[in-house]
Amino acid sequence: MRVAALARTLALTLCCAAAMAAPPPAATPAATAPAAAAHYTLDAAHSSLEFTFLQAGARNTGRFPRFTVALDCQGADPLRLEVTVDVAALDTGDKDRDDTLRSDDLFAVKKFPQATFSATHITRTAGGYDAVGGLTIRGVMRETHVPFTFRAANEGGATVGYMTGKTVVRRLDFGVGQGDWQATDQVADEVTVAFKLRLTAAH
Amino acid sequence: MTLRNTTRRWGAIAQLFHWLIVALILVQLWLALRADELTGMGKLRELARHKSVGITILMLVILRLLWRSRNPHPPLPDNLKPYERSLARFTHGALYTLLFAIPLSGWTMSSARGFPVSWFGFLQLPDLVPKNHTLYEWLVMTHVTLVCVLAVIVALHVAGALKHHFVHKDDVLRRMLPFTRT
Repeated sequence: MRVAALARTLALTLCCAAAMAAPPPAATPAATAPAAAAHYTLDAAHSSLEFTFLQAGARNTGRFPRFTVALDCQGADPLRLEVTVDVAALDTGDKDRDDTLRSDDLFAVKKFPQATFSATHITRTAGGYDAVGGLTIRGVMRETHVPFTFRAANEGGATVGYMTGKTVVRRLDFGVGQGDWQATDQVADEVTVAFKLRLTAAH
Repeated sequence: MTLRNTTRRWGAIAQLFHWLIVALILVQLWLALRADELTGMGKLRELARHKSVGITILMLVILRLLWRSRNPHPPLPDNLKPYERSLARFTHGALYTLLFAIPLSGWTMSSARGFPVSWFGFLQLPDLVPKNHTLYEWLVMTHVTLVCVLAVIVALHVAGALKHHFVHKDDVLRRMLPFTRT
């Protein structure tokens, strides 16, 4: 009798433990399948890529209006990120300054029309994700961390993704600043690059 | 020489304001002309200095007027003709007005261009107007015109001081000079 009671208790405990260890019941049938892969591209009209720099001690902001993004996700998690920026399209709101930035001593856009970021490794962090990959500007590639947040949403039946983040790059690491422009007293070495993206999914 | 003004001469503080501003205006002209000749980084550097010194002049003029309002003014000599008194009042009023208007037009011009002003990299000043290229071009013209007006008024001011010294042979010039007796 006592053995039987013990056996029953043991069986019940094992059942509970098994139930707790099992994944929670799926909300939709689709999620029961292996996490779906999603491929996102940029909704350029609702996205921005900006850079903030210190010029003569004052903060100035410019933007790259033309760029493309390719983001692959496995389930909810970003796996791979590719960004290509049309550097010549840069816009700081001042034509003279923009022309200077395009010149050979700075971005040298004739020779290096594109800047790219290719994340080979994306990990989860407390606040979101951290993409590590090669950032190439002016033909120089440097390993760069880009922390970001990512959130997928369903808008009218379409899957969209919202991605925000920023990173600090040192322009001189990439040779953006030759000759006189190597000096950092008027234009600081550190440039903050920030992005707010809306992405649309194509399965 | 005392720090404060007396009824006979300008004190050390008033003289310091006067001559420091004279020196900084000359520095400003030099920086502006250099910036005009240079391009690229060199131009950026000279213009940043020009803006910082301009803001310094603006601050000094504010302090100078505060000091002036709390000190007696040595009076003009009694033998001046009414038109000479009016002319003296006009040139001094114009000088103070220009010492406000020129830095403010420069600051506003930077804001309109979209290049915020920083005081020697320590302090970024707020933009006075939103970015506007038409306004910027108008302000460039205004800034330069005001400097030309300043040159004319300064010429009158110096001519007046020299006339007091060499023609009237009074102490109006000497009382603004350090190391002289009145």
